[in-house]
Amino acid sequence: MNRRQLIGCTLAAAAFMAAPGAALADVNRIDVYITGDSNIINFWNNIIKPAYEAAHPDYTLNVVSARNAIAPIVERTMAALGTDTDPQVDIFDENDPNLPSGAIEKGLWVDFTQAGLENYGMINPVTLETNYGLPYRGTQVVLAYDTTKLDPEDAPTTWAELVAWMEANPGQFTYNRPDTGGSGGNFVRRAIHEANGRDPSLFRIDNYVEGESDELLAKGFEILKEIAPYTYGPGSYTADNMQSIQMLAQGVITMAPVWSDMALDAVNKGVLPETIAFTQLTDLAFAGGFADMTVPTNAGNLEATMKLADIVLSEEVQAKVVTEIGAFPAISWEHLPEELASKYANLQPASIPTFPGGPWVSAISDGWFRNVAPHVSR
Amino acid sequence: MSAAEAATDSAGARASGGLGRGLTGLLLVAAPVALVVALILWPVGVSVFDTLTVQRPDGLHFSLDAYRFFFSDGFSLRNLWLTIQVAGTCTVLLLLISLPIALYLRFSETRLAGYIQALALFPLFVPSILLAYALIRTLGPNGTVDILLTAVGMPKLPSPYLTPWGPIIGLVWDNLPLTLLIILAGLANVSRASIDAARDVGAGSLAVLWYIILPRIKGTLLVAASFVILGLFSAFTLPYLLGPAVPEMMGPFMRRTITEVDDPLQARTQAVVTFMICAVFAMFYVRSVARTRREQSS
Repeated sequence: MNRRQLIGCTLAAAAFMAAPGAALADVNRIDVYITGDSNIINFWNNIIKPAYEAAHPDYTLNVVSARNAIAPIVERTMAALGTDTDPQVDIFDENDPNLPSGAIEKGLWVDFTQAGLENYGMINPVTLETNYGLPYRGTQVVLAYDTTKLDPEDAPTTWAELVAWMEANPGQFTYNRPDTGGSGGNFVRRAIHEANGRDPSLFRIDNYVEGESDELLAKGFEILKEIAPYTYGPGSYTADNMQSIQMLAQGVITMAPVWSDMALDAVNKGVLPETIAFTQLTDLAFAGGFADMTVPTNAGNLEATMKLADIVLSEEVQAKVVTEIGAFPAISWEHLPEELASKYANLQPASIPTFPGGPWVSAISDGWFRNVAPHVSR
Repeated sequence: MSAAEAATDSAGARASGGLGRGLTGLLLVAAPVALVVALILWPVGVSVFDTLTVQRPDGLHFSLDAYRFFFSDGFSLRNLWLTIQVAGTCTVLLLLISLPIALYLRFSETRLAGYIQALALFPLFVPSILLAYALIRTLGPNGTVDILLTAVGMPKLPSPYLTPWGPIIGLVWDNLPLTLLIILAGLANVSRASIDAARDVGAGSLAVLWYIILPRIKGTLLVAASFVILGLFSAFTLPYLLGPAVPEMMGPFMRRTITEVDDPLQARTQAVVTFMICAVFAMFYVRSVARTRREQSS
């Protein structure tokens, strides 16, 4: 980049950062901040926005992409709390209400159990983690496999069966590095669960202790080292979620852990052939999670925003969550069309174990790279 | 009057005569210099300072612990060594590939040369992320190359994908236009007359290359190599997408250390070590430019 470009870019960036503050002023506008990828932004713009504006013609939906820069907008909302200032945020599409710490105690977030939402009762209880977040789409890591090479009847359903299958079919399985994509990351976490009695409750956001916890992780790494000689390469771990899907598509491997929504999207777009099927481990599923919407109590259009939340949880929109973005619905399957429920039967989550972030992330990433990755080489 | 006094005198005369112009010039460079200081030199200084100090209860202390860890940690050293190997291999390959193309483009007068130049500069316009995925589809397992080989009854080749050769192939492809342009610029200094003169006294092609062309473009080759190495050390996308999980090149390693391992101090240490190695090559470049300036002004 030469000097002139640098100055130009700096000015453009400054103007861009100043723009949202200047642009938002409309009274009947509901400001939706999206953390997700472009598929989620499209979903809000093309599905939810028309549905809402048809039902409530007085209001318009303003869909704003915040991507990874959600923290300053949450801070702004927090700063406006207790003042007359409109934070110009009505709803976040995916946000952890526990952040910033103390936000719940200060009354920043709407308690949805008290909010009188019509469709709240339809929510699948396994998806609810907090009263202050409203789940609306979920995804989980599943095993995708090529049915031309593996009969669905023989597809592994427990960790032990999976390992036995890998040993019988060396080079036919790969997972991506745990730092670059959750599908490989949650495969590694499943191995850690396996090594520790399949008890996810051992791992909590607040109980990482250096040394002691590293021993728990090391047991999982041992399991991964044992299967390393049977992975593709051996030991050639793909760089991200998409590359595992590409390896499946090119027929190089037979099986890989994938995010359910990414893989379904790939099948719908023809990136993956129709002969790809999915299976989930039944002894303990791979980790996953739901995106929680949060609504600040000082939102400018609180009442209208609650109606929006109801529409997002409606049967129509929830069915589109499955068909359009390949995600799990947050409402129970009995409220959705039966053909949809039966088509995605293999992907229906019976339980969604979670694995905490925070210090665990760095311990797992560093530990895997130092212990598992160098264990075998091609 | 001694030579030194004479020099000071004439410098003084120049300064007083061009004071107004000098001031305007300084003001003109002030903005970019301030930007470079604020956005590059200052953060670099802070990083270096951070890696050399530790916070103890009684204040800041000088410490080499961060570097001691880096240079005693086999994992980090392996990553650094791989980066040096990849950068070295790529540079040699780039010079070996670019030089014949550049010679052809410089001395050929056919129309074909124009097309070849366009083709050689094409990688300049391809973003590396596209290149990475394209290479996976062509050179990856069961990719186009494998399909072609199988079609003519040849065995499949072991794929370079997810080995150090993956990023090497990608980086060579990606850096080819830059290297080629620099060498072409250098070759413009080689006059056709000197080559014709050598030919007249019976020099063969190799002798012309060795005794006439190479001595004239030695500096250019050094500049090209320095430039390429600087780019290779900071390469991220191609090593990240095409390379093995371990050893990593410094680019992906630094990113992972700061975002995943959450260890900004080690990430800075890695950055400073990389920076120091790059600084050596930057010095070659600066010296070469300064020498060219001197030769041109004398």
